[in-house]
Amino acid sequence: MRMWRALWRLIKYRPWLYAADVAAWVAILLTELGAGYIAKLFFDSLTDASPAGLTIWSIVALVIAGGIARILTVLAGALIDIRHRYNMGSLMRRNLLASVLARPGAESLGRSTGETLNTIRDDAQAIEDTISWLIDQIALLVYAAVALVILIAIDARITAIVVLPLLTVIAAARLVGKHIHRFREASRRATERVTGAIGEAMEGVQTIQLAGAEKHVLGHVRELNKERLHATVRDRLLSQSLHSFFWNTVTLSTGLILLAAADSLSSGGFSVGDFAVFVIYVGVLAEVVAEIGDFMMHFKQGGVSMERMADLTRDETASAVVVHAPIHMSGPLPDVVAPRRTADDRLEELRAENLTYRWPENGNGGVNGNGRFALRDISFAIERGEFVVITGRIGSGKTTLLRALLGLLTPDGGTVRWNGMPIADPAAFFVPPRCAYTPQVPQLFSDTLESNIRMGIDVSPEALEESIRLAVMEDDVPQLQKGMQTLIGAKGVKLSGGQRQRAAAARMFIRDPELLVFDDLSSALDIETENLLWERTFARGDQTYLVVSHRRPALERADRILLMVDGKIEGIGTLDELLTEHEEMRRLWA
Amino acid sequence: MKVPIKQYYNLLSTYLRSQWRWVAVLAVLILITIGLRLANPQILRTFIDTATEGGERSILIRSALLFFGIALLTQALSVAATYVGETVAWTATNALRLDLLDHALHLDATFHKDHTPGQMIERIDGDVATLSNFFSRFTIDIVGNGFLVAGILALLFREDWRIGLPILAFAIVTLILLIWIRKLAVPYWTKYRKLSAEFFGFLGEHISGREDIRANGAVGHVMRRFYEFVQKMFPVRLRSSLGGYSMWMANVGLFAFGHAVAFGVGATLWRASLITIGTVYLVFHYTELLRGPISEIRTQITDLQRAEAGIRRIRELMNTESRLDDEGTAHLPTGPLGVRFDGVGFAYEAARVSSAVDQEDADASEEDNDHEPEMVPALHAIDFDLAPGTVLGLLGRTGSGKTTLARLLVRLYDPQTGAVRVGGQSVGTVQIADLRRAVRKVPQEVQLFRATIRDNVRLFDPSIDDERVLDALEHLGIREWVLGLPDGLDTMLAADGGGLSAGQGQLIALGRAFLADPGLVILDEASSRLDPATETLLEIAVDRLLENRTAIVIAHRLSTVERADQILILDDGRIAEFGQRHELVADPSSRLSRLLQAGLEEVLV
Repeated sequence: MRMWRALWRLIKYRPWLYAADVAAWVAILLTELGAGYIAKLFFDSLTDASPAGLTIWSIVALVIAGGIARILTVLAGALIDIRHRYNMGSLMRRNLLASVLARPGAESLGRSTGETLNTIRDDAQAIEDTISWLIDQIALLVYAAVALVILIAIDARITAIVVLPLLTVIAAARLVGKHIHRFREASRRATERVTGAIGEAMEGVQTIQLAGAEKHVLGHVRELNKERLHATVRDRLLSQSLHSFFWNTVTLSTGLILLAAADSLSSGGFSVGDFAVFVIYVGVLAEVVAEIGDFMMHFKQGGVSMERMADLTRDETASAVVVHAPIHMSGPLPDVVAPRRTADDRLEELRAENLTYRWPENGNGGVNGNGRFALRDISFAIERGEFVVITGRIGSGKTTLLRALLGLLTPDGGTVRWNGMPIADPAAFFVPPRCAYTPQVPQLFSDTLESNIRMGIDVSPEALEESIRLAVMEDDVPQLQKGMQTLIGAKGVKLSGGQRQRAAAARMFIRDPELLVFDDLSSALDIETENLLWERTFARGDQTYLVVSHRRPALERADRILLMVDGKIEGIGTLDELLTEHEEMRRLWA
Repeated sequence: MKVPIKQYYNLLSTYLRSQWRWVAVLAVLILITIGLRLANPQILRTFIDTATEGGERSILIRSALLFFGIALLTQALSVAATYVGETVAWTATNALRLDLLDHALHLDATFHKDHTPGQMIERIDGDVATLSNFFSRFTIDIVGNGFLVAGILALLFREDWRIGLPILAFAIVTLILLIWIRKLAVPYWTKYRKLSAEFFGFLGEHISGREDIRANGAVGHVMRRFYEFVQKMFPVRLRSSLGGYSMWMANVGLFAFGHAVAFGVGATLWRASLITIGTVYLVFHYTELLRGPISEIRTQITDLQRAEAGIRRIRELMNTESRLDDEGTAHLPTGPLGVRFDGVGFAYEAARVSSAVDQEDADASEEDNDHEPEMVPALHAIDFDLAPGTVLGLLGRTGSGKTTLARLLVRLYDPQTGAVRVGGQSVGTVQIADLRRAVRKVPQEVQLFRATIRDNVRLFDPSIDDERVLDALEHLGIREWVLGLPDGLDTMLAADGGGLSAGQGQLIALGRAFLADPGLVILDEASSRLDPATETLLEIAVDRLLENRTAIVIAHRLSTVERADQILILDDGRIAEFGQRHELVADPSSRLSRLLQAGLEEVLV
């Protein structure tokens, strides 16, 4: 029933368009019934069973007029249905994207990007189909009802004999439904593994090429392909068997008409025209039942798609998938609202109390997983204007601390306070103008350099230039083919590693946040560039920094250093203090 | 219009040849079904004529039962055809997917820079999926339905040529019109699929980058770009979908016309007492039956429109050639390799212009030279020589060309001028596979796969057994760590390569290099993201790796260059300094010494 509720919600998104869609498809099917009835008139006029007195040529004219009417109704139906489908598909995709972006940014989606894309592409498509086919079902019911009334008017007994086998079909579909669900799910999973592997192979193409591992990666995908073949063929075979079973009822029903009508046809109580319209309309009814049977199968498969989308949004009711939101199909696009700085945003003190984080236990946490503590009872405070460095050896929890603090991972315990006020939703809170963050391996996007730095922030060209200068990138920009307008390629690959990091830094500076958080910003920079960068940023004054680093330029400048060991804070102090008190600090410094 | 028969034929014969037996079985199954469909109206005519003329009841019953028999047989055959057809189609398209992936894996870096992984999924899986039906049924249905149409017409001619002729004319006109309409939609399909690939490329990239997007408050910006796509895609989608509907509309109009013809002819002949009422019904029924095959042909043609767009894009991908020719035949010796750069010059954007088509574009753009900024050279006239077994420390500011230099050594690009020599051979003359076996680059950013630790270290090479994998891990000092994981070597890494920290990932990358046993190692900042404590651990491993090998170590920190025998400093794509490390350190006027004095003494002990 969750599926119905979700569909209903989608229908209500564009109710008038939906109603128009239904009306158009009813019209299309009724013109089709008209064509069948004209055939009856034709045979009756030949055998003089018709009192209407229509001539052959007026019937021929009627046939052609009917054809033109159908063309026009199909055109109208197409224009409405395409638009309606597009609305539905875009809304779901919008909601999926919005929900993915709303998740804590560093939390695993539990699936690869390729798999996530698969859900956004194919599962949304499947529901788009379901919605559109639901319209067909409504129209088909009207169609069937009209056909049935005409048949009963001709001969109620024969009609009854024909309708019974049709009912068995519905029962059959119910029985097989469960397996379809399972097979479809297996086939989808196998497909996901293939697309996931292709995506990874493309992402890591350089690694593969340089290792000469093309052949082996192909072998890996070949195995996944085989699994997909088996799963898909099984799924299709079951669907197709059911499908042809439905269609077969048409022929079986026609056989029934032959048996039932034999006597009345001989006695003249049943004309050839009646027979013609019976064969056509029974075909219609069987088609309707088959279509509805098909739809029920698709509906079950659609249920799988809906579940997967709901799973991606982490909302079992799927309401996040179908929530109403503007999709801006026409008219001006929404302005990207620049965050307004209020007095409350000014940072006086940031305080973490007993922050705790455990690796998730779902097995997906991989090698680090299974509920181990990543952070345990972390408490510290940063005052306005301070430069605080987090250091520690690999795996000591530095990055995890930043992520848990900023809400990019959901902490298992502890409080974060901004000027003494506890923050309820850190992921929503730690954004510009309060805070900006650059991860260890910053991601850039397939767009111009300027657009990557701005990412929607509307500031003056001078401010853009200043952010470039602060990031020590002013010498690099003119070297690029089209300066700030250079397209930097997928993930920014056309830039060097250092340029990517500095572009990400510029992206922070342009946002002019109260608190700047860098995770190992300088790892791809040389010492001179790093020194210059810190010099320029410090010259601005009045900003607060939280930085993960183990490099001397940062450690030496630090007002305070948090030394981390195994997810705990080993010591807090200046470099000199820590060097005298902690063996670990001496090892890191050495 | 052009039906690219040759292309279809080539695809079909390439991917179906190995399965010809199954294709034959499929053909037989479909042909039998067609025969059964031709028999149906004949039974109905007998029935009507017998009934209206007051014939025997047993004939009527027999006719009805025959109907049931045919129904059941059709059922069985269609299930069998589905099984065979789907298996054939998936076998063929899977082979095509692998070929495309194989091809894409061999394309050079310039190509991959322009194509996001999301785009490539769409091109390798999405485009091929549209071909699936094409492979299983297209030819057989077109041929089979052609037979069905021919059979219907022959049976109508057998009744009376005055029936056969008009219906034949109708069938011909219908097919010609439907085929003509077909070509209207193709460009829109191509455009739609291309736009859709771009759209999913955009989504994929932004899903991977969501940490950056969230933390920099750029969600609104991303959503705005999503809406831009929504607006941009609708008109294209509308036109391409209408292309499909136009076939249906034509079909409806034409069949209204067909019925008019059948009614006119049937009534005229019946009035002249040339045919029975049962035959009038037969004519009507066969005309109606034509709708089936013609509408199936229409469906196949709609699929073909999709498939054709897919085929076009597949060919486009297949015809994209790596700009690195791999015609070299020379082999590299085992053991440490010498390196020599002879007047090497290289620029990235110039590297783009190379195929004939691109050349034309380049010529065209030269005319409006004002808009084209000058080429930015990445390396100029690089000359140096490195003896086998020496370790070179490569220094320079970001963007000075260090990474580029390394890329030329493994032939991710070819230089425009000069020659890069490894082991005495110009790298262009060595088979790429051989070159990359002997020269191993440990990259800056490690790519991990959703697979076991074992497969991540050996990169899916099934010939490398656990012993060798563990041996490599032992060298790195992480054997115990891996074996201590819940599933040891079988531990699965999470979907996005997650589960390992950046540093742990780099240990895996070093393991990969160990396994390859190269003669030249290029360490591209391999230790840049490791904290010093782990670095100490790694240093031992790196020392082992470099033992009896030539190495080029790229690092920003001078400390990592301590193990270097020679130093090369790059500045803006030129060699600023090259020499023995200890000599440069001793010479106070050297660039290296100046670097050390610029407040960085701390870096070298």
